[in-house]
Amino acid sequence: MLRFFKAFGLFSAAALGLAAVPAAASGDLLVAPTRLVLDGSRGTEVVLNNIGSEPATYRISLEIKRMTAEGGLDEIAEADANEAEKAALGMIAFSPRRVTLPPNQPQVIRVGVRVPEGTPAGEYRAHMLFRAVPDTVAATDAPKAASGGVSIALTPIYGITIPVIVRVGDLGAEAMIGEAWVGETRDGPAFNFDLRRTGNRSVYGDIEVTRPGRAEPLLVARGIAVYPEVGARKVSLRVPPELAAALKGPVHIRYTEDREIGGGTIDAVDRVVK
Amino acid sequence: MRNFGMKRALVGAAIAALAINASAAQAATATGTAKAKILRQIQLTNTSDLQFATIISGATASTVSVSTAGGVSCGAGLTCTGTTTAANFNIQGTNGAVVLVGGDSSVTLNGSISGTMTAALTYSAPNVTLGATGGAFQVGGTLSVGANQASGDYTGTFNVTADYQ
Repeated sequence: MLRFFKAFGLFSAAALGLAAVPAAASGDLLVAPTRLVLDGSRGTEVVLNNIGSEPATYRISLEIKRMTAEGGLDEIAEADANEAEKAALGMIAFSPRRVTLPPNQPQVIRVGVRVPEGTPAGEYRAHMLFRAVPDTVAATDAPKAASGGVSIALTPIYGITIPVIVRVGDLGAEAMIGEAWVGETRDGPAFNFDLRRTGNRSVYGDIEVTRPGRAEPLLVARGIAVYPEVGARKVSLRVPPELAAALKGPVHIRYTEDREIGGGTIDAVDRVVK
Repeated sequence: MRNFGMKRALVGAAIAALAINASAAQAATATGTAKAKILRQIQLTNTSDLQFATIISGATASTVSVSTAGGVSCGAGLTCTGTTTAANFNIQGTNGAVVLVGGDSSVTLNGSISGTMTAALTYSAPNVTLGATGGAFQVGGTLSVGANQASGDYTGTFNVTADYQ
């Protein structure tokens, strides 16, 4: 086989390399809302819509993710889940788990919660993953390399996750904004600050950075959470170079609760950005 | 019926506006309630694939890298031709929302006849702050090509997610 390739590879590969691009990606999706908070008795609904141009089959599942000190979400295998994470998987029920949708056809996913008697107070969380099942037909349609080329077809299986949070008992939390600075990342400048959390639940809200004396905020970042598994996280937001320069100096940083639950201030500080 | 209801919720603003106009036009004394719930949404679309273009393997093992900007770096001993692209994903959602980007760090490709290759994947950013027109992220990779890599069609899949926190 190797000898065969050596002999014919050179003049065949160039012509037959990789042309396996799907004309229209199938599996594009819309999910609404983007976060679920359940108090333990009432269920809710999530809408999944096929916004691609082809019919697609989607799978819905629950995943365990843990927040890192860097503010990322690490995927945790079910075997490595701790008691609270396993409990979260056990209390959240949803249906359907697999659905085939024609283009522009929304589907309601019903989400229910059942908190077993004696569950300790706390916040239980899983992340609901919506993802298209890869189209196996597309792979066989890919052009074949004839007498010896190397053709490559890499198919992304892409999806959206949203947190599903179940709160049991009377919970509270506070957050404090730490130091703020502008730093360089591999992909350009970023505005960074530390966010510390205390209490027995997550905090979630919007960040607004303003300059004293200027009405327009310099930066708005919505949907920043600190989950209970971390006591502090770094928030690192990539910004264009001109904004990075403008952010240096005295700023007012405000962390507010989600507008949907009133938008109250969680913490507000004055910082000098280095 | 259920679907219809939710469709209506998603285009709720338009329908609510119609309902209000209709009742106002009929009688000044009539009262009515128009209810619509607008849900925050996120959309993820895949607009280009990660393409390593055409590779002719050589007598020694080497690598081909496609940057997240789509540029190619062809390792010693390999011949690379054709147009390479990074995988691109567009995200639409609430203006200002921060969306985390997650995914596999490597992918294994299986040859149709024999052999495997692996590619290490790189992401353009760990998170994306959406603007008024949404945001995007790219996935590039470094493909390890063996010495005299067996010919054939190599296929592999990798997982990518846009995560709300």
